[in-house]
Amino acid sequence: MALRRILVANRGEIALRIVRAARSLGIETTLAASAADRYSMAAREANRVVVIGPPAARDSYLNPRLIVHAATATGCDGLHPGYGFLSERQSLAALCDEAGVVFVGPTAASIEAVGDKLSARRLAKAAGIPMTAGSEKLATAAEAVAFAEGVGFPVVTKASAGGGGRGMVIARDASALADGFERASIEAKEAFGDGTLYVERYVERARHVEVQVLGLGDGRVLHFGERDCSLQRRYQKMVEEAPAAALPEPTRRRLHKAAVDLLASIRYRNAGTVEFLYDVERDDFYFMEVNARIQVEHPVSEMITGVDLIRLQLEVAGGETSRFEQHNIIPHGHAIEARIIAENPDRAFAPSPGRIRIWRPPHGPGIRLDTAMEEGANVPPFYDSMIAKLIVHAPDRPAAVERLRAALESFVVDGVSTNILFLQGIAQHPDFISNRVDTRWLESVFLPQYGQPKEA
Amino acid sequence: MTHIKPQEIEALLEAFDNSPWQEMRLKVEGLELFLSKTPGATAHSEPVAQHPADPAPFATTHATALSAPPRAVSGGANATSAPAHVPDHWIAVRAPNLGTFYRAPKPGAAPYVSVGQAISADTEVCLIEVMKLFTSVPAGVAGTVRKVLVEDAELVEYDQPLFLIEPA
Repeated sequence: MALRRILVANRGEIALRIVRAARSLGIETTLAASAADRYSMAAREANRVVVIGPPAARDSYLNPRLIVHAATATGCDGLHPGYGFLSERQSLAALCDEAGVVFVGPTAASIEAVGDKLSARRLAKAAGIPMTAGSEKLATAAEAVAFAEGVGFPVVTKASAGGGGRGMVIARDASALADGFERASIEAKEAFGDGTLYVERYVERARHVEVQVLGLGDGRVLHFGERDCSLQRRYQKMVEEAPAAALPEPTRRRLHKAAVDLLASIRYRNAGTVEFLYDVERDDFYFMEVNARIQVEHPVSEMITGVDLIRLQLEVAGGETSRFEQHNIIPHGHAIEARIIAENPDRAFAPSPGRIRIWRPPHGPGIRLDTAMEEGANVPPFYDSMIAKLIVHAPDRPAAVERLRAALESFVVDGVSTNILFLQGIAQHPDFISNRVDTRWLESVFLPQYGQPKEA
Repeated sequence: MTHIKPQEIEALLEAFDNSPWQEMRLKVEGLELFLSKTPGATAHSEPVAQHPADPAPFATTHATALSAPPRAVSGGANATSAPAHVPDHWIAVRAPNLGTFYRAPKPGAAPYVSVGQAISADTEVCLIEVMKLFTSVPAGVAGTVRKVLVEDAELVEYDQPLFLIEPA
C-alpha cells in the first residue's frame, strides 16, 4: 500500500530532501524536530512539525520511542530515518513494526544481520564475496598478534559493533599491535558500548569504493553503479564521486555483482550500500561493510543514473516495485560531491556553529546543492556541522573536476567558517585532477602541504 | 518588513541578549515586541510574551507566542495561545518531552489536579505517555492551579505549557 503520510525522523538537508521527495509523490510529512530545529527549512516545508525534545540529540533525535510515538500520534503510516542518528538502529525498525508503521529501510532482521561487522563478514563469505584475510573476534592482544603473524603485517584492528574509524589501529609489527589492541578496544567500547575487536590484513594503497543498491524485498536487488569515496579525513568522507573512474571495466562489473549477490542472499529491502576496499596494485577488491541506510553521498549516484533515490525508497516502502528493472538504469557522465562543513580547517577543523550572514551558493548547468541553509539561518552547535552538499555533474571526470573547482570558487558563505577554501585546494591539486589518490592521500599528502607556501 | 520570519526574531533575541541594552521595543506592522532583561518587567501596552514567568527573553520558545511566525509549529502549539490577560507571576508547567497528555492516573479516575486546587512543588499534575510508557509530571512549583491548557489525551510537544500555576 502506497504511503500517505510519513514521519521524517531527521534534520538538516536530508530532512528537507525527504520532505520534498515525499511531496513529489503526494505523501504528507510530519517532521519530528528538536527544539533547536523548530524553525528550520524542513520545518517550514513539512505539513506538520512536532517538537519532540530539547536540542541535545540523546533526548530528541536519538530517542526511538519518542519518534515512533510522534509518528503514531500524528497519523503517519511510514517513517523515514534519513542517515545518522537512529537510521541503522535495529530497535527503531522493530518499534515501527510494533506500532504498525512502515519503516522506510531494511527489516529489523536485516539491519541486525549486516549491522554487526563480524556477522556481515560471515554473510559475505557465504555469498562468495572477496575479503581480506580477517580474524573472528579476538579476546586478547596475544590472540591478535598470533593471527597477524599468520597473515602477515601490516594489519588493522576493527570494532565489530561499528565503523567511523573508532577502534581502528594500524599496526606494522607485533609490538605496535600489542600496544594498540587495548586502546582500540577501549575506544570501541566507548563509541559503541561493545569493545569486541577483530583484525584484518591492511591494504596499503587502497581506494574506498562502494555500490549503491536498492533491494525490492523479494530477492531482487538493483544497483545504481558505484562511488569512489577515497578522500577522507579521520575516516570521514569529504569528497565522493561516481563512477569510480580508477576501476577497469571488468572489475567494476564484478564489484556490482558482489554487492547484489550479498544483499540478494538476505532478500534485502530498500536502499543500502556495500563498501569495499579496492587494492590498486593488485586490481582486486575486498568486502568492508554494509550501510543499511541511504547515505550522505547518494546524490552522485542520482546524478549519473537520473533517478531520485529517496523517492524510490518511499515507493519501495509503499510496495510499488513492479516497474523497476536493472536494464533501465544507465549511468551517464561523472558526478562529484563535496561536503561543505561549518568548521575551521586552520584550527584543527574545529566546528564553527553560528548564524549564516551571507549565503551565495553557486548556480549553473550541472550544479546541484543539497542544503537546508540560507541567509539568516542558524547552524546549531548540537549536531554534525555539515551545512551543504555541493554536487556537480558533467560528461566526463575532467569536466566534472573543472566544474567543481569553478563552483567552489563562486560559493560565498559568511557568519561561520567553512572548509570551502580547503576543498578548493583539493579541487586544484594535480593528484586529484589526475585521480591518483587513495584513502590516505588527504591526510598523508594533502594536509601536510595545505597552508604551506607554494614552491616555485 | 511586513513578513517577519521566525529566524529574524531569533536573530533579534540573540542580538539583544548579547547587547548591553536592558530593554528593547519594536513596533512594525502586525508585530509588537518588548524585550527586557529585568525579571517580571512588562511593556506598558499589552504584554507580548505569553510565558510571563520566564525572566529573560532568550529561549526560542518565546517566538511561538509572537504573532509573526505564520505556521511554524502546528497542531499542539495552538494550545499555547493562552488567554491574553494572564497575570505576570503565574508559572507554566511544561511538557518534559513529546507525548500524550493524561489528566488522570487511569481512564475514568479523578484528575490529578483541578482548577483552584492548592498544590506543592512535588504534586503530580498529569501523565505523559510515550509508547505505553507513562511518566508522571510534578508541578515543580507550589501554588494554586489556575488553568489547564491541554485537553485530555491530546498530543503535547516538548516544552509546551500544560498548566498555569499561581505561585504561593
